[in-house]
Amino acid sequence: MPVTYEELTVGYEFPPVSYELSASLVAKYLEAVDSADGDAVPPLAVAARALAALTEWLQLPPGTIHASQDFEFFGVVPVGAAVGCQAKVARKLTRGSMRMLVLELSVSDKSGQKVQSGKATVILPA
Amino acid sequence: MVKHITQEKINLYAEASGDFNPIHIDESFARQTPLGGTIAHGMLLLAYVSETMARAFGTRWNSSGKLSMRFKAPARSGDTVTVAGEVESVEKEEGASYARCSLECRNQQGEAIVVGEAWVRLK
Repeated sequence: MPVTYEELTVGYEFPPVSYELSASLVAKYLEAVDSADGDAVPPLAVAARALAALTEWLQLPPGTIHASQDFEFFGVVPVGAAVGCQAKVARKLTRGSMRMLVLELSVSDKSGQKVQSGKATVILPA
Repeated sequence: MVKHITQEKINLYAEASGDFNPIHIDESFARQTPLGGTIAHGMLLLAYVSETMARAFGTRWNSSGKLSMRFKAPARSGDTVTVAGEVESVEKEEGASYARCSLECRNQQGEAIVVGEAWVRLK
């Protein structure tokens, strides 16, 4: 059952999610971003799917937008690999009618080796 | 790197990424928000930034890159986005060298819509 912004607390850890970066998914991503690179999964494709997988557990209102994004990449992810994502709430801010959420994400391969980490700051609609 | 944003590309990105937030794909919803219409996914713009870095640094980017970007203004269908970067310095840390780069995406009006920095290990 997805949790809402109101239910989240700082330090809340989402249940881990896993997903496969199949050849068809990578091909679709490359077409969408207008790119021809295809030997490995583009790191931003790994990240995009991690954020999407998180929505299984996190329900943010329509109109939520990205304010900033940090990433660190530790290894190349081969096409077809399965990865797992863990995420937690790093910050939760409310200023007047503005609500912000900072999420920290970590993506690991099947052996548990971290392949990337990230921090997403999103602004929720008033 | 120059990329032209269209609603078709935004829709395609929504499908590829799994991000179906209506602010990106539903014009009637987006028109009623303060943004006044659909906008491209921030992660789509970052994909262009990442591709720029991968072109410059190859697989080193995918295996040791670090990116920190802020979204200052939205990109919309019809916009032409230019991604530019510059190596600002080469820094040494724990025996390794890192290139620190400034990065930005500008729209066709020259407005900086995404700005930030990246680091990549050189050796």
